[in-house]
Amino acid sequence: MDRARLMLLVVALAGAAALPWIGGPFWTGLATQMMIFGLLALSVDLLLGHAGLFSLTHASFFAVSAYTVAILQVRYGWPTLAAAPAGILLGTALAALFGISVRTRGVYFILITIALGYVVWGIAHRWSSFTGGDNGVTNVPFPAVGPLAVTSHTQYYYVVLAAVILCGLGYRVLIRSPFGLGLRGVKASETRMQSLGYRTGLHIYVAFVLSGALASFAGVLYVYYNKFVNPVAASFPVSVEAALMAIVGGTGTIVGPFLGAGVVLGLRNWVSSFVEMHHAIMGAVFIATVLWAPQGLVGIAARVRARLKGRDG
Amino acid sequence: MSISAMPESLLSVRGIHTYYGDSYVLQGLSLEQPEGSIVAILGRNGMGKTTFIRSVAGLTPPRQGEIRFKGAQLSGRAPYAIAQAGIALVPQGRRIFRSLSVRENLLLPTSGLARPRRGRWNLEAVLEQFPQLAERMHHSGAALSGGEQQMLAVGRALMANPDLILMDEPSEGLAPKLVQQVGSIMQDVRAHGHAVLLVEQNFEVAMSVADYIYVVSAGRFVFEGTPAELERAPEVLDQHLGVARAHA
Repeated sequence: MDRARLMLLVVALAGAAALPWIGGPFWTGLATQMMIFGLLALSVDLLLGHAGLFSLTHASFFAVSAYTVAILQVRYGWPTLAAAPAGILLGTALAALFGISVRTRGVYFILITIALGYVVWGIAHRWSSFTGGDNGVTNVPFPAVGPLAVTSHTQYYYVVLAAVILCGLGYRVLIRSPFGLGLRGVKASETRMQSLGYRTGLHIYVAFVLSGALASFAGVLYVYYNKFVNPVAASFPVSVEAALMAIVGGTGTIVGPFLGAGVVLGLRNWVSSFVEMHHAIMGAVFIATVLWAPQGLVGIAARVRARLKGRDG
Repeated sequence: MSISAMPESLLSVRGIHTYYGDSYVLQGLSLEQPEGSIVAILGRNGMGKTTFIRSVAGLTPPRQGEIRFKGAQLSGRAPYAIAQAGIALVPQGRRIFRSLSVRENLLLPTSGLARPRRGRWNLEAVLEQFPQLAERMHHSGAALSGGEQQMLAVGRALMANPDLILMDEPSEGLAPKLVQQVGSIMQDVRAHGHAVLLVEQNFEVAMSVADYIYVVSAGRFVFEGTPAELERAPEVLDQHLGVARAHA
């Protein structure tokens, strides 16, 4: 890592640590959401940016995990240490099941994941005796591990920050591993990878399950922040926005999905305070990204840096 | 000679019929390749050369006939299983991964869920064979010249330590000097004990490196023999290869 990047990292970490004092509750809350949805976007991007598969069912894993934690904690009084792993486990198990969708490619994969996502949303919405219907499950407490209990949103912000840093590091190891290299090979050409001895179907399936596990973890972080979960968490727009966050920020990178989450959530908060049609404005941002900055914000930053370097040299 | 005393071919293709979509491309082809040999299939464009390679690699499986490799049935197996059995493919047009670095390209055959085959080839050995690649390890595949791409494609195939390398038109689109280099690469590869099944349009390349040649025309083999025998078959040269020989 060169010095400029190290400096940037130190400044970013210091800024993140100091945010609750500088920004107050509003910005701290927004930053927490940005990290949680950034993590969801990162999970989507493991398939999109590395394997070249566009999944629109990741809200399912996110929501199943969130519902599991909420129901176990609120109705059955499970402690965080049991409920949170159970949420990740169930979300991941669902991903293992939905992984059958990797038997298809391209537009068929997109369509099948949309359909699967609607099934989960439909269950959350209609099976109200269990899921609470539109009201969902409310009164989820902050997480607590033994005597260590989170008591405020500011404290929870630090929990999420630590979790996201750990996930980012783990993700970095994964995509730099031979497994990650294999995924990028599949994105470039699946048949060539088969001729090199890869069981590409299995490779992608494993990536799908891992990506579902990460989305499930984001769901756990979400439900403890939000304090309740309802069918909106499982809805199609959540899956779409996660993919768009990755695209706006820059696919195939680690910071990209988080930057994209910042843009999307920031715009929604800011624009919706004076314009009704914030969805239309968001749509325009996405179209502009795809047309003029397909590498997203990270790509723009790289281009600016290259130009500055060229001027120096 | 009794059957048990006959040397077992490395690759034995018997009467394969392959369709490409609706078109009937390979119409009953048989081929034997001994270990450590270079066998060339010569033919003009559209005669089924690439389809033959794709049939062996499992990418376009034959509908009839059988392919045996080291005595084991190959037909009906998935491409990845065929690769793991010891067959590497150098595809037409030197299809390297342009989005990956040279180093990543070379590491692919030994990465991930693929079961690496052990042998004399590893990163050091390949770079010793192709020193030009060593200087460009961190360049992307897209930044390589045609000749370097060919070296990378062959180097990548060697990394799998295969018994047989399938090469689909390695000379295509290369300058004459590089074509010569490709020929010597193949001879080196044979010297290390790997067999090469080569599909070519370039008559000179095939004649100079191959131990045995098959000529394909409209999905059938119309000739098989040594390069010297092909040299003495003017009607094959003239009709099926369009090579006019001054002394023929």
